[in-house]
Amino acid sequence: MMAFIAPCLYAFGGSFAFALVFNIPKNKLLFSAIGGFLGQLTYVLFQFIIASDVALYFLATITISFYAEMMARVTKTPTTLYLAVALIPLVPGGGVYYTMLYLLGGSIDLGITTGLHTLGISGALAMGIVLVSSSINLIRKVMLSGRRKYKRPAVPWKK
Amino acid sequence: MTGAQLSHIAMEIGVVLLSNGAETYRVEESMQRICMAMGARNAEIFVVPTTIIMGITLANGDHMTRTHRIHKRGIDLMKVEYINSLSRQVCYEDLSYDDVLTELHRINSAPPYPYFLQVLALGFVSLMFTLFFGGNFQASCIGLVIGIGIKLQMDVMTRFETNIFFINIVGGFIAATIALGATGLGLTSQMDAIIIGSIMTLVPGLAITNSIRDIIAGDYLSGLTKGIEALLIGTGIATGVGIPLGLLSAFGGM
Repeated sequence: MMAFIAPCLYAFGGSFAFALVFNIPKNKLLFSAIGGFLGQLTYVLFQFIIASDVALYFLATITISFYAEMMARVTKTPTTLYLAVALIPLVPGGGVYYTMLYLLGGSIDLGITTGLHTLGISGALAMGIVLVSSSINLIRKVMLSGRRKYKRPAVPWKK
Repeated sequence: MTGAQLSHIAMEIGVVLLSNGAETYRVEESMQRICMAMGARNAEIFVVPTTIIMGITLANGDHMTRTHRIHKRGIDLMKVEYINSLSRQVCYEDLSYDDVLTELHRINSAPPYPYFLQVLALGFVSLMFTLFFGGNFQASCIGLVIGIGIKLQMDVMTRFETNIFFINIVGGFIAATIALGATGLGLTSQMDAIIIGSIMTLVPGLAITNSIRDIIAGDYLSGLTKGIEALLIGTGIATGVGIPLGLLSAFGGM
């Protein structure tokens, strides 16, 4: 049990510390770190059903993006604030490291395999964000269509 | 409000947003809305990560163009958030020129978290990710030391305006060297976990996120620029880590 919860807690801690590094306001530190926790939780839970690493990363990113977009709308804050912090535990640092290590050691085949796998994970992250952000933007645009979003002051040439 | 004042406020807001890590479309949209809300007839804004170009047509028909070159870019999401709410306020309420300037000054001089907390935070990032990648308690303590070391190194090199590529090479170098040293001294056997965990402090999380979000928004130029930045940082880290490991294997240490 601990083996499944521990990574989530570590991801939470890492995200929280990164929120401090990015200088996120005090009242939003916790919420941005929860994103990291949720992403890792999705990854761990779906591990039982899905075998593919890349698909797991994709699902985790979707969860994080959805959470970030929701929180951004609720708190009227830029989405980046939640997204950038929560996404960091998913960045394939290990993949880059092992790719480098294999290439350095002369195992070109292993290096290329690992490198492509890392590239796949990065692609999954990007596509996850694209999918959620675009859908939510579309929904928002449809809901807002026909409604003016900001007031224009009285301007002299229109009198 | 005169045209000069209008363009001054819009440009100041854009500059603070762009130089602290906001997405390109956010800068463009904020500036445009501010210009329109303050009475410009038309405003065309073009933003790339290093430059802002703004052309305004004023209510009386005069044209005005301002450009601003961004030399220093950092990450301070507190400023992005505060400026975001300020620009919302400018659009919805009638603020005077002086009010906005006072508010801008207040945001610009808002103190960040205390320095020791920032250093500890980066150490803590390194500690947490060492645990995350399968290190034990002892390994994570070494991760903490590396994280603090990387933070100090980054700050010193940033003060001398070193380019971001070299900063990350040296950061990766420090991480790998300390991890190798600790392994050599017999303090830990989990060198890989320590190195991966501590290079997570250098990972360009914001550049990756913003690059993707820019591309979604249709700002391909900015998106590609930031994507390349992230790629260069990643290559830099790998190079830095590779130097001590490569030297060691060349001289038959491992």
